Amino acid sequence: MVTKEVEKLLLKVQKPGRYTGGELNQVVKDKEKVDVRFAFCFPDTYEVGMSHLGMKILYSQFNSVEHIWCERVFAPWLDMEELMIKNNIPLYALESGDPISDFDFIGFTLQYELSFTNVLNMLKLGNIPIYSKDRTELKQIVVAGGPCACNGEPIADFIDLFFIGEGEEVDLEVIELFRKCRSENKSKQEFLQLAAQIKGVYVPSLYDVEYNEDGTIKAVTPKNGAPAKIEKRLIMDMDNVYYPDNFVVPMVEIVHDRAVQEIFRGCIRGCRFCQAGFIYRPVREKSIDAIDRQCRALCENTGYDEVSLSSLSSSDYSKAVELLSRLNEWSNDEKVSISLPSLRVDGFTDDIMSKIKTVRKSGLTFAPEAGSQRLRDVINKNVKEDELLNTCHVAFNGGWNKVKLYFMIGLPTETMDDVVAIPKLGMSVVGEYHKCENRPKNKGVTVTVSTSSFVPKPFTPFQWEPQDTKAQLIEKQNKIKETINTRKITYNYHDADTSFLEAVFARGDRRLCKAMAKASEKGFHFDGWSDCFSLEKWMDIFKECGIDPTFYANRRREFDEILPWDHIDYGVSKEFLIKECKKAYANATTEHCRQKCNNCGAAKYKGGVCFEKRQSMV
Amino acid sequence: MKNVRVWFKKDFECRYISHLDLNRCMLRAVHKSKIPVWHTEGFNPHPFITFALPLSLGFRGERETMDMRLTEDFDFEEIVKRLNTCLPNGIRVFDVTEPVLKPGKIAFALFDIKLTSDSISPANLCSELNVLFSKEEILIDKKTKSGIKEINIKPYLSDYSLSANDEYVHLSIKLPAGSQENVNPTLIINAAEKYLDKEIYSDITRLDILTEEETPFE
Ligand code: SF4
Repeated sequence: MVTKEVEKLLLKVQKPGRYTGGELNQVVKDKEKVDVRFAFCFPDTYEVGMSHLGMKILYSQFNSVEHIWCERVFAPWLDMEELMIKNNIPLYALESGDPISDFDFIGFTLQYELSFTNVLNMLKLGNIPIYSKDRTELKQIVVAGGPCACNGEPIADFIDLFFIGEGEEVDLEVIELFRKCRSENKSKQEFLQLAAQIKGVYVPSLYDVEYNEDGTIKAVTPKNGAPAKIEKRLIMDMDNVYYPDNFVVPMVEIVHDRAVQEIFRGCIRGCRFCQAGFIYRPVREKSIDAIDRQCRALCENTGYDEVSLSSLSSSDYSKAVELLSRLNEWSNDEKVSISLPSLRVDGFTDDIMSKIKTVRKSGLTFAPEAGSQRLRDVINKNVKEDELLNTCHVAFNGGWNKVKLYFMIGLPTETMDDVVAIPKLGMSVVGEYHKCENRPKNKGVTVTVSTSSFVPKPFTPFQWEPQDTKAQLIEKQNKIKETINTRKITYNYHDADTSFLEAVFARGDRRLCKAMAKASEKGFHFDGWSDCFSLEKWMDIFKECGIDPTFYANRRREFDEILPWDHIDYGVSKEFLIKECKKAYANATTEHCRQKCNNCGAAKYKGGVCFEKRQSMV
Repeated sequence: MKNVRVWFKKDFECRYISHLDLNRCMLRAVHKSKIPVWHTEGFNPHPFITFALPLSLGFRGERETMDMRLTEDFDFEEIVKRLNTCLPNGIRVFDVTEPVLKPGKIAFALFDIKLTSDSISPANLCSELNVLFSKEEILIDKKTKSGIKEINIKPYLSDYSLSANDEYVHLSIKLPAGSQENVNPTLIINAAEKYLDKEIYSDITRLDILTEEETPFE
């Protein structure tokens, strides 16, 4: 819905289609007839947010409940934001055009740390007080979920309640509790205390944090009956959990403009840098029947001619080839192409290749993450150089001539030898091309080598590691540049400054809230976009607040230190993470969950891969 | 094989999508509708659709058209019905016909424009526009492929009417359109903003597309 006031602005901004709603399959209800209004906010642009699967799932699920109306809200881009402020137009939801301050719940999904300032900015644009304590009534409850909720401490003063883990069940339980509390005229405080009793709900205001003299945490103490440990929620029955048979189909082009079918949650691999690989444990698959049925319904209802099978590592689906054959039974006739993102090097078999169309001839991407075998062992990324070269060989002979390789620099234990191995691997891929008899005629090979800077994340075996300093990272980037001796390799690298700020937020504690509030006051937004990001400005703020950001990013933490997120439980034990960290130092790898269970702790959820029969039990 | 011409309105939220977005939107609707249409060949086949005259982002369209090719006989009413269930509400198909004229025959477009300004009443804006439009020469910068060019829009102001009510100024105007010469009504609004030195809001509807003989394009 576009209101008269907004209409006036739309022709003055870029891509106005992102601010109107009105797409196919959007849900419009009568606001007089619903009980709970939920503003689902994605703290980034429409194009980014509309590509996000989690939002689509919860949007449809909430709206499947008659008395809930869930609407979408995105961060307006700079031009629109400026006009909205100038014309006193508060941030509104796309379906009704109503300001978000009218809503019972304002929910954010936290996908990356650098969107934290957008969360505050969106509240500000909606004329909602940013501090939780300043919102005293039982309305405008600000909730947040998503991977970054695993350490929400840097925004703990602003969020009333975090959802820990997967949202399908717990979100609705909290909404129901809200209805009950409102009908009983309970206060917001009473509601929050009751909500804290629900498994998977973290109410940060119910925990007191004390600090030691050296700045580390002394104790986190729950009050008013809140649990000492907040356990994550997760769905064990993947076939029967709610899955939308319909997506809102955007009219303007978005980042991933296609149907998305989830095939499993979690990852068997356990790469030691990867947070997703730990917080979503254990792996839980959907059956082929369920995927086939859901996928087909989704394509029919949206009109998309492309569906992507989504998971953290799609070719690890236990029956990948069988699944693809089943989907191909109808997809070819219906002119629907199936794509498998996040393919692993060893998952790229001829069999799979022949069944998926959209690995387009231009783009072949691999993420070896580290250049040397030693360092790949350290991070437990079990990709072997010869496997990678073999896969490239198959692809080159099949007509491909462009390869993208993704690496990280600044990984724990990294030496200059490991760094030099990155461009060397790129050069080996170039060499492999020239060995291929059937390589595309008259075409050269292009290898793109990209490096990002390692950001240590909570709930990983590297959560205690210091991040490399900017100087160290730049030295490594320069080394790579120097080593490349061919124009066939293009080298891209991710800016070290953004990774630094990401590292500060990722492992930050509550004392950062002060800096967040300051940043919001100064109008910070879109930190994840180079258009807006300025580390310099952030450093000024840290200084003003008396915060040393290197304390969070570059300090090695002791195994016995109390970490800001220690009271949150994702099912993976701290002992296991310590063991994994020590194995990393010893260059020792760990088997994936299908080879051997390494007792990470997630078996307590009594399902998924932990209880699968293993073929090669040792 | 049979070519058909689909007639539709583009309004409400769908006003704000570009021609490229409209194209994608239609492709998906045609795919979803399962109407037997001819697909392009190649690596990524998609329904073959063409539009007679693209509509600028922000305009409402009352009589827009798109051509497609049926691979087998198919009821026209059914096409209307199916496409409407597959399209967002802002795009409504109201007719399907057999194409009579080639899109090259389009020569004019008829526009209905509502103009307002925060700093001046509709009546005053209307009289100022009347004065402006009766000038000998009205120059405005126009972006072209080869850079910015100054053009005189006076010759295009041959067939129009201006009136005002309490809410807005109503400008009704016929402008050259099509592959030969195409004049976008925003040029006139830009000129008004420049000469009157005021911010003007416009709400533009393309009412119809006409041939050289000024009969409706069919
Ligand atoms: S308990 Fe074992 S099988 Fe289950 S997720 Fe942990 S390591 Fe994998």
